[in-house]
Amino acid sequence: MQSTASRPSGLTAPAPGRRGPMLIRVGVILALAAVMLGLRLVADPAWTAWLPDAGRDFVTLSVSVFVESLPFVFLGIAISILVQVWVPDRVWQRYLPRNPFLRRIALSVLGVLFPVCECGNVPLARGLMMRGLGVGDALTFLLAAPILNPVTIITTYQAFGWEDGILVARIGGAFVIANLLGWLFSRHPDPSSLLTAGFEARCHAEPGVPQTRTIRSARLFAEETTVMLPALVAGSMIAGAIQVGIPRSVLVELGSNPLLSVLVLMALAFVVSVCSNVDAFFILSFSATFMPGGIVAFLVFGAMIDIKMLALLRTTFTTRALALIATLVALCVLVLGMGLNLVL
Amino acid sequence: MSSERHPQHADASGQPIRRSPWPSTGLLLALTGSIATLWLAATGQLGLYIHPRYFTFTAILVGLGLVATIAAHAIAEPGDDHDHPAPTGWRGRLQGSGGVLAALALVVGLLVLPPATLTTTTVEQRDLNSSIEADAQLVGADPATFQLRDWAALLSHPATAVTYAGQQITLSGFVTPAPDGNPDVFYLARFVVTCCTVDAQPVGIPVTSPAWADSHPVDGWLEVTGTLVTSEASTTGGVVLKPSSIDSIERPAQPYDY
Repeated sequence: MQSTASRPSGLTAPAPGRRGPMLIRVGVILALAAVMLGLRLVADPAWTAWLPDAGRDFVTLSVSVFVESLPFVFLGIAISILVQVWVPDRVWQRYLPRNPFLRRIALSVLGVLFPVCECGNVPLARGLMMRGLGVGDALTFLLAAPILNPVTIITTYQAFGWEDGILVARIGGAFVIANLLGWLFSRHPDPSSLLTAGFEARCHAEPGVPQTRTIRSARLFAEETTVMLPALVAGSMIAGAIQVGIPRSVLVELGSNPLLSVLVLMALAFVVSVCSNVDAFFILSFSATFMPGGIVAFLVFGAMIDIKMLALLRTTFTTRALALIATLVALCVLVLGMGLNLVL
Repeated sequence: MSSERHPQHADASGQPIRRSPWPSTGLLLALTGSIATLWLAATGQLGLYIHPRYFTFTAILVGLGLVATIAAHAIAEPGDDHDHPAPTGWRGRLQGSGGVLAALALVVGLLVLPPATLTTTTVEQRDLNSSIEADAQLVGADPATFQLRDWAALLSHPATAVTYAGQQITLSGFVTPAPDGNPDVFYLARFVVTCCTVDAQPVGIPVTSPAWADSHPVDGWLEVTGTLVTSEASTTGGVVLKPSSIDSIERPAQPYDY
């Protein structure tokens, strides 16, 4: 929302010669908005009357996931912009403890101050490493922050309440796994071999043209929506398709098996790549058929490792390092999920 | 490299990125999503998709999101971007076409197709009354306050169902066939929503109506007034609604029970 609040200064900041293009851009987007609204108003149900009921329900289910998640995505982007652009780096660096265990614990709850989804955390973690933070410490932050943050905790609570200890297991599991992996990787003999060669060089290339915070906020908003919204649309459609396409009997069969319920939902989390702050709504529809351990495995594994996250992390870590991280996280989550299924 | 750094701009305009008047894929998706959602809110149809407790939150945040989208497009300048190097080559093209497909899906799903409730296809997929739990609070409460979901819970247990025989009730819901295919009994059904439509669970009560399929289309909305009677018909609770009047109605503004 920062870009909203500071719009007037943005309008006056650029040189006078740029006002022309800006007016054109405003005109173009308002025209697009008008076309969309017009399409919605003239769209005749008769155009799509041929669609079978299963297709209709697929759309209804997908739209409901999208509409439920959209405000939370906007909220996440707003906070991400606030943190990345408007809070100076040194403010939160100064307060990190020296002791490695305490430092990692502090880093794993840092997400409370940076309640962005995993997409927003990668640039933050890169910034941390540039300023001398160890690979293990940065990893702790990367793995914990998507779950140990207010937006994720609120949406998980909205979806599940205290039911079956899902909320508690998600938070506790994420905390333990993030600290465990951070400790493991801090003992790596040659941490720099985990990072891509281009990472260091790219990070030292500061932008040549200084930009106002308003312009950086606007750019970040455009970039974050470009990363997150296609993933959200795809995730919503997969959620709808599974609900309509896979018979309930199959889901019940898979979901009531202590091992399969965990493995299937971990695989699903990896593929759908829904952002951690809205994935609870996505998986809610499975809670009637799947054991709680499977739900928790989805909520923990998906927030840490998925296709989208691996693509983003590849900018920083080598493929070998990512494979190692993904395997270790998967094993930890498997133990967590199966343990819950056997205990509950 | 520099010409490939912002594939979203190049995709939208088909031209080099500088000063493109077209919004990026993300802003286009944000625009489509927020306009459609605000239209649903303005026309009172958000209830088709999400629980009423989210109405205000959704309307406000999506409204702010729309303003931010327009503002971001107005003031964002394409430039050197060291924090977010856009993928190039096949990965960039894949991301670009994924964005276009997502935009198409959003336009069709949100702007072309009419807003709708779930149908009998999902009732069958999710098994009618499979989610019902006994609710002790209902017993002894004033039956006039019961929603369809309450009656479905009461009638699914023979012991409680019998105590309501002779009760007069009026309920609205949509028509769905009896799970066992009995041609003389249909179920008056609704979905129960906890959070959003994706978690909707179907509940219903049996209504006796000989050869109902001739006069009542599946998924059509009805208001039924009648008396609960014990019956041999194939129902779990042994009690059915014997209608004295059946009226066709429009889909109500609040089609789900909560």
